[in-house]
Amino acid sequence: MKELTIGWVNIKRMFRERSNIFFVFIFPIALVLLIGVQFGSGFAPGVAIHQAEGDVLSDRVVEALRAEESIEVEVLEDPDEVITAVERGTVQAGVLLPAGMDETASAGDQVEIGLISRTDGTGNQISSVIGAAIAEVMLPVGAAQFAMAETGVGFEESLAVADGVSGSVEPIGVEVSATGEAIFPDTLGQFDLGASSQLVLFVFLTALAGSSALILTRQLGISKRMLSTPTPMRTIILGESLGRFGTALVQGLYIMVLTVAIFSVNWGDPLGAVLILVALSAVGAGAGMLLGSTFSNDQQAGGVGVVLALGLAALGGAMFPLDLFSSTMQRIAHITPHAWALDAYAELVRRGGTTVDILPELGVLFLYAVVLLSLAAWRLRVVITRP
Amino acid sequence: MGAALRIAGKDLRLRVRDRSVLILGIIAPLVLSYIFYLVFGPAATGQGLSLEYGVVDDDRSEISTSFTAVLEGAAADGILELTTFDESAGAASSLDEGEIDAYFHIPSGLGDSVFANQAATIDVVGDVDSPTSTQIAASFAEQFASGVASSQTAVATAAVVSGQEVTPEFIGSLGQDPASAAMSFSFIDETAATKQLDASTFFAAGMAVFFLFFTVQFGVTGLLEEERQGTLARLMAAPIARVSVITGKAILAFILGVVSMAVLVVATTLLLEADWGAPVGVAVLVIAGVLSAVGIMGLVASVAKTPEGAGNLGAIIAVVLGMLGGTFFPIASSGGILANLTYLTPHAWFMLGLAELGSDAPWTAALPAAAAIMVFALVTGGLSYILLRRRLAQ
Repeated sequence: MKELTIGWVNIKRMFRERSNIFFVFIFPIALVLLIGVQFGSGFAPGVAIHQAEGDVLSDRVVEALRAEESIEVEVLEDPDEVITAVERGTVQAGVLLPAGMDETASAGDQVEIGLISRTDGTGNQISSVIGAAIAEVMLPVGAAQFAMAETGVGFEESLAVADGVSGSVEPIGVEVSATGEAIFPDTLGQFDLGASSQLVLFVFLTALAGSSALILTRQLGISKRMLSTPTPMRTIILGESLGRFGTALVQGLYIMVLTVAIFSVNWGDPLGAVLILVALSAVGAGAGMLLGSTFSNDQQAGGVGVVLALGLAALGGAMFPLDLFSSTMQRIAHITPHAWALDAYAELVRRGGTTVDILPELGVLFLYAVVLLSLAAWRLRVVITRP
Repeated sequence: MGAALRIAGKDLRLRVRDRSVLILGIIAPLVLSYIFYLVFGPAATGQGLSLEYGVVDDDRSEISTSFTAVLEGAAADGILELTTFDESAGAASSLDEGEIDAYFHIPSGLGDSVFANQAATIDVVGDVDSPTSTQIAASFAEQFASGVASSQTAVATAAVVSGQEVTPEFIGSLGQDPASAAMSFSFIDETAATKQLDASTFFAAGMAVFFLFFTVQFGVTGLLEEERQGTLARLMAAPIARVSVITGKAILAFILGVVSMAVLVVATTLLLEADWGAPVGVAVLVIAGVLSAVGIMGLVASVAKTPEGAGNLGAIIAVVLGMLGGTFFPIASSGGILANLTYLTPHAWFMLGLAELGSDAPWTAALPAAAAIMVFALVTGGLSYILLRRRLAQ
């Protein structure tokens, strides 16, 4: 029972510190919300448009872009304002419609439309949405130009015919399906992806931050005093590990419950989801213990902890979807426990998997936990008993 | 001033011996910006994204081969990797093995259906674990479909205008390629001319200014450590003005900040090929940025009771300002309140100033942003000076 007492004291110490309340409970939720807002579907990214001249064709383009649901269109008076808006990042892309689009088109020439996009974020995707919308507007124009060149009939007349014909053309459809009993992408909610990534990132970050408490315990001689009582080494080590494990688990459960309650995040099979969290918390506890028993300066451990937690999260796919990693980077990613945990969550959420389906990932995570905890126990034994 | 410099010098030796400042001030931002660049770089530049597709052409018509030609062209440009399969079973098993992310299946009869103006589809089958790659594959197919639609419309329009039916003979009689109908417009990509940071500079600058606040904190919280250790009372008893004690700590914080930023600018330029822009402009921004960090962290120190308290509050402030200031990902693009709130952080102005500098703007382009940062520095610095002076008087 002493293990539990030591663990409980550690948890109490953690939450007495008010700043930890912020990092453990407030910050992750704020970030899930922020990322949901940033990349989610509910909030359309902005596109700024400048019309050098309000002629028929350019009005059609503006109308088509306005009708596009995935973007939020804003028409600006000055082309420089469009450029500034993209540079400042208040919109993701800008469209510059030239003067005399009608004349250029009716002369059979190519209309040149200026396009600016953010080099970061979702600029690329927005550009292709804009491209598709404008291509649709320009489709009858191209057809009219073609007919004009073929038959010598005037542009106006050809365009009127093309406008009529374009409705009757049967375009090639694109049907997307996925292998297996896939349920993506329609059921993947706006916050689903963000939530599991944040969970993995923060559980590990909190566990690593726990290393400084362990260092303080050692510095103040509490560990040595505990050892002078009839308490075996293994109990102290287990108790300290339980403390880190408990904090990580509390935070993880908190994120899960709150994201379900507020953002209706789908975590898949509840048993499986909690088991992944337990495994990940154990890995985090092991890493935190190892860090806390290796360093003797809590500021150094804190710095290394932040680098490890953020760096491994980025490498492991907790900041950027794993499926866009190159195959080499994917292999590197699977050195981190993060990637395994995210794979397991993806299995539960995207494929509707059960606990049985994620056994391999759980196995790898528990292996990490065992190795890290053993290393940490050995290191801690050495540093506590060192004269 | 002499006393202030001596205090700063003593603290500097202390900080150099304790390696924490080295870890947080230089190693952390350098390692993280490298990792971020490695992970996010491909997405930001659109190059080196891993898109592995397969294609099965059961149709082998003029239209289906033009689609495979488009894909092969994209493969030749290095945008994607393409494997051609003879039958869909082969592609499906390759997908199961995880060798490809998605495959295109062109069913037989597609070409005939298009000529007969009947419904036809291209199937995109994706790996359930590669939703993003599958979406991109679908957009390739849609883009092609829209090109075909434009040819279809062109031919149909020409037929109606000349009062004929769309027959193979009519198509054969056409003087131009119907595909040219898709050339009625083109995009002039003017992105390169805009002032935006490229991926490596963004991550290098973002991480540098994010960790700057932690680095500077080491200097400022020194005052609280002296207070707890009782050395502050002794300093107060010595013939040293209060202003010298405060200035000493501020000078140290400033030196730590400037040195770490300078090392990071040089290191990321050499290692990550970050392009910070005109050196004088960067120097102005760095100095203003460090001063604002000293001011804000000084304010934290003046309200905190213990060094740990200052450390924790400082971490919260640094993380919140860093996130809000868009050092991890650009915040302004989310629009709304956040897009305006971001300018309440010196971080956002720092990044903005660097973007204004670009690669070839004169150094003066950084001045407006630097001035905005200096407002933060002066307000918080002045306030913390008053509060700390009052605290030392007690």
